[in-house]
Amino acid sequence: MVEDLRLIELVGVSKEFDGCEAVSNMNLYIRKKEFVTLLGPSGCGKTTTLRMIGGFETPTRGQILFGGQDITNVPPYRRRVNTVFQKYALFPHLNVFDNVAFGLTIAKVPKADIRRRVEAMLEMVGLKGFEKRGIDALSGGQQQRVAIARALVNEPEVLLLDEPLGALDQRLRKDMQLELKKMQQRLGITFLYVTHDQEEALTMSDTIVIMKGGHIQQIGKPKAIYDEPANAFVADFIGESNILDGVMERDCLVRFAGHEFTCVDGGFGANAPVDVVVRPEDVLLGEVGEGMLRGTVRSVLFKGVHWRMMVQTGDTLWKVDSTQMLPEGSAVGVSIVPDGIHIMHKMEEAAKE
Amino acid sequence: MKTFKKLYLAAVLIFLYAPIAVLIVYSFNASETRAVWGGFSLKWYGELLHDESILQALYVTVSVAALATLAATVLGTLAAVGIHSMKAGMRAVFMNITNLPMLMPDIVTGISLMILFLFARVPRGYGTMLMAHITFDTPYVIFSVLPRLKRMDKNLYEAALDLGCPPAQALKKVILPQIMPGVVTGALLSFTMSLDDFAISYFTSVRTQNLSMLIYSMTRRKVPPTINALSTVMFLTVLALLLLITGRSNKADKAATK
Amino acid sequence: MKRSSFAFPYGLWMLMFTVVPIFLIFYYAFTFMGEFTLENFQMFLEPEFLGILGHSLYLAALCTALCLLVGYPAALFLAGRDFKRSHIIVVLFVIPMWMNFLLRTYAWMTLLEDTGIINRFLEWIGIGRKKLMYTESAVLMGMVYNFLPFMVFPVYSVLAKSDYRLIEAANDLGANGAVTFWRVTLPLSVPGIVSGVTMVFMPAVTTFVIPRLLGGGTFMMFGDLIENQFLTVGDWNFGSALSLIMMALILVSIGILNRFDPDGQAEGSGVL
Repeated sequence: MVEDLRLIELVGVSKEFDGCEAVSNMNLYIRKKEFVTLLGPSGCGKTTTLRMIGGFETPTRGQILFGGQDITNVPPYRRRVNTVFQKYALFPHLNVFDNVAFGLTIAKVPKADIRRRVEAMLEMVGLKGFEKRGIDALSGGQQQRVAIARALVNEPEVLLLDEPLGALDQRLRKDMQLELKKMQQRLGITFLYVTHDQEEALTMSDTIVIMKGGHIQQIGKPKAIYDEPANAFVADFIGESNILDGVMERDCLVRFAGHEFTCVDGGFGANAPVDVVVRPEDVLLGEVGEGMLRGTVRSVLFKGVHWRMMVQTGDTLWKVDSTQMLPEGSAVGVSIVPDGIHIMHKMEEAAKE
Repeated sequence: MKTFKKLYLAAVLIFLYAPIAVLIVYSFNASETRAVWGGFSLKWYGELLHDESILQALYVTVSVAALATLAATVLGTLAAVGIHSMKAGMRAVFMNITNLPMLMPDIVTGISLMILFLFARVPRGYGTMLMAHITFDTPYVIFSVLPRLKRMDKNLYEAALDLGCPPAQALKKVILPQIMPGVVTGALLSFTMSLDDFAISYFTSVRTQNLSMLIYSMTRRKVPPTINALSTVMFLTVLALLLLITGRSNKADKAATK
Repeated sequence: MKRSSFAFPYGLWMLMFTVVPIFLIFYYAFTFMGEFTLENFQMFLEPEFLGILGHSLYLAALCTALCLLVGYPAALFLAGRDFKRSHIIVVLFVIPMWMNFLLRTYAWMTLLEDTGIINRFLEWIGIGRKKLMYTESAVLMGMVYNFLPFMVFPVYSVLAKSDYRLIEAANDLGANGAVTFWRVTLPLSVPGIVSGVTMVFMPAVTTFVIPRLLGGGTFMMFGDLIENQFLTVGDWNFGSALSLIMMALILVSIGILNRFDPDGQAEGSGVL
């Protein structure tokens, strides 16, 4: 599957726009056949990073390597990468066939080859028979497929995708996520994918890079990031969390929500203020008297597979997910297992690092 | 109420068309003086074809309009692409320069150019008239092309680069087809403005006269009836041109709403 | 090569043929025999010249008012529901605007002259000939005729674009026809009126062809005066000063008019 060969490497890359740093001192490598997602809120620098790899922006500082060679100043039309743009950027004056054939025509591929490759590609994205259609006559989902076909037909080593599913409705999005993942595995092409949708990132990626304010917050496999977020920002951004102020009493003992809890983290020093992150599914409800805290169910919402309950203990309001429903107003005992408690440096301090 | 509206619009249209209609009717009058109707005749059209000064002026008008349009279209389209990719400050400078001739009264534009040519000791004739026309035509092209560029997805150009097009080729293969309707509208506008111009040509050319200048000089002497025939021909020409433009924009509108 | 450099040939051209000529006008306006002076502007303060300016402004204002009076209802009716489908009527209003300006004015000469159609009609119904040509009314007539479409179009394009449901909403809220017009339609059309007034007033105050042809030189307007300074008197300095005054006048009036336009940008000027 993913080969341990660094295909793209960013070394100390920064990008400033009018003195404002959009990406700052970024170090990142992407391996061959890997599906890497840049994830973060808008303005975090993920699109700028993608555009630097595509060649549409030149880094202010740092180097971009491609297969070990410096491509920092190579123009986009000489890079072996192709891009699927946010709003597709299909050429409105060309039909489906000519849009997909565009890159091959520029590369002066023989006509017969172009025809064969374009048709094979259109078949793969499920648009066989649409060759003569105008772009305006396609639905959003179909335009999306044309954009993907137009990029992939050039057999790039890396495909860059800038929020490609952003304009589609929920249902179509889910289908396309699966299809894209399948395509990537079948073609064995490296995908670099930009999104602000954490669910999309978790579903599709081999590796997720979480960004905020031009800095990388965490790099890791989806499950690792979900289970062990590096800081409160990541915890909040990936899935939902209860984030509470806490104080480290000593290693493996933390105080928050008016109670002491055993945990598995250490090394913060005594009495260090920390962020405590607890996933809603790690908060366990039981009979009154069980667990460390007692509380009251304030509201109940059916979410399909589980219930989302808001439970109040003292001043703290917990988000709790459970497959067992407890009626509103009922008194409960609340417990959290040590594994479910994630301790992090306070966010301001983490940002300074 | 609807009848009143109809009558009102009809009255305004009569006001607008009556003088033109009178000219057209007179162009078929066999009599030399307008006071008398001497019967239907096409003789003024025949004389028009043999009137050297009118034919010469017609040639000047059309050739200046065509050349000025060609130059203004190339200059203006390139300028629009350039202005579109400029940073705000630089763009403001260029836009102000572009607005200037549109805000200046024709007479001032004409006079300022006349001073320039006299100052530079360039004899005022065909060449100076052409330069003046290019100057006032180009902003029209820019103002027709810029909205097209603004409406264009800016990723289109990047997509072309991404697919292997060097910049010049991307411009030709992707941007030009996108802005083509604007370029054509700008060119048609330029051509009509040039055909119609009097004030600027009047100040920037002495040795060569275009039709407007010829008509002006004729009205100050005795006006020959051939001018009525000329009016009719020009009216029909403009009519045809205009139908072409509206036809185009209608088609474009329909394509846009599809 | 940066793409913004595509605009440089144009920039160079405009520098040569717009910026430099304007500087020359400034130069001549503020000098006499190469010496700096304000005399050219002082000369303008003489009653004779101020009178000409006043008269031009008066005629241009009257022309603008007449165009608004005649043109606004026309634009309103054209944009209304009764005629919305008939694109052809709108085109009918454009066509005369594209007819050669000199020919349009010449056409009025044939109507107004002593043996012209109007006089012959007056004779026929027993009123007798009147002197119509070479009068102020003839000049005014010619200006209204030439510039009326410039008023109709901006107003029409703004009204045609506005949402008919606004009028329905006003009716729904209890406003009758007249109230709806004053409270909804008229305020909506202000940008069109602003741009229409600009587009009529500007050429009206600067024209020198119409007073020449239809006024026959019986009185002078501001445009005539400028043309006269350059082509007859040969006083470039005074002529340049007059040109600057005219430009200042126009910039100021555009500035004032744009204050009435809530969007800050006059609509519909594209039809020119």
